Amino acid sequence: MSSLWNKLFLVCALISALGLVQACAHRKAVVAPEPQAGSESEKVASQPAEKGTTTISPEPRISAAETPESAIRAGELPANVEEINKAGYLKDAFFDTDKADLRPDARDLLAADASWLKDHPTVKFLIEGHCDERNTEEYNLALGWRRANAVKAYLASLGVGADRISTISYGEEKPFATCHNESCWVQNRRAHFVVTAR
Amino acid sequence: MKRRVFAICALVAAISAGRPAVAQDEVYLKVTSPGLTRVVIAMPDFLSRPGTEPSAASTLLATLRKDLGETAVVGLVSPESARLVVVDPNNPNLTRQRWRSVGAQFLLDGSIAGAGNQLVLEVRLWDLTSGEVAYSRRFQGTVNLATTMAHSLANELIHLFTGKPGPFLSRIAFVSDRSGSKELWVMRWDGSELQQLTSHRSIALSPAWSPDGQWLAFTSFLRGSPQLFIFRPTEGYLKAISTLPGVNSSPNFSPDGKLIAFAAGDGGETDIFAVPTEGGTPFRLTHTRGISTQPAWSPSGRQIAFTSSAAGSPQLYVMDAEGTNVRRLTFEDKYADEASWAPDGVKIAYTTLVDDRFQIATLDLRNNERTIIPGPGSNESPCWSPDGTVLAFVSNRTGGKQIFITDQIGRPRQITTEGNNIQPAWVALVQ
Repeated sequence: MSSLWNKLFLVCALISALGLVQACAHRKAVVAPEPQAGSESEKVASQPAEKGTTTISPEPRISAAETPESAIRAGELPANVEEINKAGYLKDAFFDTDKADLRPDARDLLAADASWLKDHPTVKFLIEGHCDERNTEEYNLALGWRRANAVKAYLASLGVGADRISTISYGEEKPFATCHNESCWVQNRRAHFVVTAR
Repeated sequence: MKRRVFAICALVAAISAGRPAVAQDEVYLKVTSPGLTRVVIAMPDFLSRPGTEPSAASTLLATLRKDLGETAVVGLVSPESARLVVVDPNNPNLTRQRWRSVGAQFLLDGSIAGAGNQLVLEVRLWDLTSGEVAYSRRFQGTVNLATTMAHSLANELIHLFTGKPGPFLSRIAFVSDRSGSKELWVMRWDGSELQQLTSHRSIALSPAWSPDGQWLAFTSFLRGSPQLFIFRPTEGYLKAISTLPGVNSSPNFSPDGKLIAFAAGDGGETDIFAVPTEGGTPFRLTHTRGISTQPAWSPSGRQIAFTSSAAGSPQLYVMDAEGTNVRRLTFEDKYADEASWAPDGVKIAYTTLVDDRFQIATLDLRNNERTIIPGPGSNESPCWSPDGTVLAFVSNRTGGKQIFITDQIGRPRQITTEGNNIQPAWVALVQ
């Protein structure tokens, strides 16, 4: 019995993963227009490395990060929190080096997150603040805390109830990517969403 | 650990029975620039009396020579030079002159006697200029404490010459991920006698010693969010000391041991707080914009240095211990963090950024003179030895993060190898 369910689930997961590749390309174009991305990264490339690149959209840790728009609208949430997190309805916000200010691209993603959250008012979630490895461990703990709370404040300003949001800082302790250059650092400077209640 | 500490205490008690012949406040040498001024000591093999366990005697001598040879304060007459000196028991003046001719300023002679489980070490330090005994001492303990005995003697000699406690029984606590998660570990200052203190399988960070070396404060994710704990390694006793919402990080004990300063904050900003070591409600000391973290008490207890991002980048600031009179300390650095106040109160070591790499720097508070101690790789988390002559720090120069010890003439020595090892905290073993 349970093995049958497992198989069924696997098939479903496969189907949604396949559908996703398309959705991914589609959505990215909407959220971060290419011309802006190109000019920004050119501007940044001539600056010292610690300034960081501002517009690269790194691959999220969870590869099945996108969900068809229709599913979101329909509000068909998976049965448990783990599945919701795997589906990745909420998009992480990324930060510049040593900064906790929200970039325009992060504000766009968070606006979409806020509207999804308003469509799903029972969902409670945790915002994890993360940092790259280039500050000291202690400083990064404080910086990650700032990032998580900057996202919380922004979502609250968009009408998401603060009582639904908890925050934690992991500083540089739980990196998403572990290499020692900008290609990883850019992925680690983020506020990451974890849904905690459906 | 428990048994070891007990054994050390027993030895200390035994040592205390016979105070040194020289007044403790008599300081032979003011070491103002380590490495440039050295006391040269001749140390021929000690007389080993019949019945002494040969291995204990050789361990004792080897340990003592190693300790003294490692400091910037003392130089030992080489065995080759020592062999040229012909000792004439009937003519002490001539013998002294011969030792002086090979560069020695002091002569350490001694004898080791043993019966069964017991070991007795008697030493005399001769001032070769005046011909007087500058120091004499009798140590007694069990044979297995030969090493500790040697460290104690080396400590006392350093104290005699510098007026500061020697490092040889000191311990470095640190964070290592070698077991698979970030745990607290402790080792002797040279990397030996390594011991894992916690097995929480969480994330432990920022160990700080109480001044008496009995407690460690640290940050742990043990209960989910980063909270502040105090821990007594000898008993494994663990207690949460601050559980404010958000972060509770980078603890530092006041010199009297009564308060722990740390960084905390709700709502995104972090400020410097303090909490009584005995337990109680944390109270806020700073009200600065942005991130404040890494408090470091001055040795007098009257001031606290800390890091703040109020000016845009992390910079060092200092305030009175009550949180008043905040002023900025660093202006030349693009980045300044992790202040460690030297025991003499005159210098602060910290982490700066040079060409995109962390480097250790010191700031002389008398003239605001900044000195960068450059090294390969990225170097951070400086921490003074209890005597203030040497710094422990973390470097990735050999791959991974490892703890090194340097002195200010630049002879860094790697003391950890396995896994990543960060955030050293150094304490003298308090007697």
